Amino acid sequence: MTMNGTHGYRPGLVDLASGQISREIFVNDDIYAEEQERVFARSWLFVGHESQIPNPGDFFASRMGEESVILCRDRAGAVHVFLNSCRHRGMKVCRYDDGNTSVFTCPYHGWSYGTDGALVGVPYFREAYRSELDKTKWGLVEVAQLCCYKGTVWANWDASAPPFREYLGEFRRFLDLILDGWDGREGQAELLGGVQKWLIPCNWKFPAENFSGDSYHNISHRSVDLVGVGPSGRSRRDMSELNASRKLHVAIPDRGHQTITYVMPKDHQPQAAYQNSPEVAEYFRHCEEERRRRPGANSRLIGAPGEIFPNVALLPRQPRTLAVWHPKSAHQTEVWRFFFVDRDAPKEVKNFLRDYYIRYSGPAGMTEQDDMENWNYAHAASRGTIARRYPYTYEMGLGHAIEDYEYEGLRMPGRVIDLTTAQASEEPMRNLYGRWAQFMEADSWDELMTWRRNDRSVAEAAK
Amino acid sequence: MSDPINIRDLAVGSLVILGSGAEAEIVSNPNDGVWLFARYLSSPDDPAMVGQEEMIFAQDVLEVRS
Repeated sequence: MTMNGTHGYRPGLVDLASGQISREIFVNDDIYAEEQERVFARSWLFVGHESQIPNPGDFFASRMGEESVILCRDRAGAVHVFLNSCRHRGMKVCRYDDGNTSVFTCPYHGWSYGTDGALVGVPYFREAYRSELDKTKWGLVEVAQLCCYKGTVWANWDASAPPFREYLGEFRRFLDLILDGWDGREGQAELLGGVQKWLIPCNWKFPAENFSGDSYHNISHRSVDLVGVGPSGRSRRDMSELNASRKLHVAIPDRGHQTITYVMPKDHQPQAAYQNSPEVAEYFRHCEEERRRRPGANSRLIGAPGEIFPNVALLPRQPRTLAVWHPKSAHQTEVWRFFFVDRDAPKEVKNFLRDYYIRYSGPAGMTEQDDMENWNYAHAASRGTIARRYPYTYEMGLGHAIEDYEYEGLRMPGRVIDLTTAQASEEPMRNLYGRWAQFMEADSWDELMTWRRNDRSVAEAAK
Repeated sequence: MSDPINIRDLAVGSLVILGSGAEAEIVSNPNDGVWLFARYLSSPDDPAMVGQEEMIFAQDVLEVRS
């Protein structure tokens, strides 16, 4: 793959020194094709949640980049992720969204695979193949690495990529804000209902950028705020503790993950929330009190939109959801949105949240509709010959991020911009595209694991 | 040529006659319309197959006995 051609990606399209990024990286078909190999074939990608496949034989048809994959639990209970493509002629071996099966059978010529991926059935194996085909070589293609983290399932096609926890680095605490319970217990999340899926006519990086922490676009949601879809009948959310908190942009530069987060002052007391239902309000008051009692830095954090590189969006509270921006083409993205609740939450709480989540997010959700209009029209208005000549600016807050940020004894990782008075910055977007450019330029994971080089140099200096 | 058999209709315990002349008892049906899991009860061509469980291809099922 050439990196110096005039048609595809080339260094300079992402210029972090000036804070300018070419529109080509959003609308150029050659760059899109290159990023499938350089970004999506090498990154850890979110595949699903273990609560979707609780029993042996359960499966969920998912995606990794453009590829269809099968997340399944085999007869022995092990979790697998396979490429959903028959090894004989490539037909999909699973064409259902989810279910339970003992085998995945290709409808084309009838090759059949066990839930552990082994090729178990070949029509006329003895007669036509004369028993000479080595079935052990022709099982379903399995991902190189898989990680189940607090119920979520992540996979990577690249055996040389670092393990998932190392890939997350210090960003893990922000993912934990979704996966741990409202009361701070570890790993309480379960999927609520099915997965919302829909297509949007824009490049996948538009929503990825937005969820990286674009607080500048809040004006887009003014109408929703006025309608008052929030769980207390006002605004979009009812997190009044935010008013007493520090609002931060946190970017992990060597990983490409970034988020908005709020840090509450020490000894901050729970605020009234979920006022549309006294029962739900009481449940969350109890959870918030419990959370404050538990040791650990996250008891003072309130999660907000964030992004795990490259295409997984976090929204830890109101609504509590993960989204995946699956690339379909340079000009189309398939959005999958997963909603979460604590698995032992009362039924009334789950039902209340289902209603709230639906009216907030998804293709019919009032807030996400606003976002999609922006992304879709921005993409369309950036495709023309003239429009492509003019880069976007990401200068906001350039040079003002700090490291070793601390608030009342709570240290934040990475590079931080305090938004409490600044209101907005574009540090998260610079972080996203900086990492994206590294992936587009690096030939191997050795080049991308810059932190390991730093660790080695620190160790050598210590010697 | 006899009508094709819809193997999705075959319950566990059904007996089938295969193209080789073997008789087999269905032990499970994944309902994919392509395969059955069955135990060989007889196998004129290869007596060693008797008692073994094998995947049976739909087009190999020529007749349903019960």
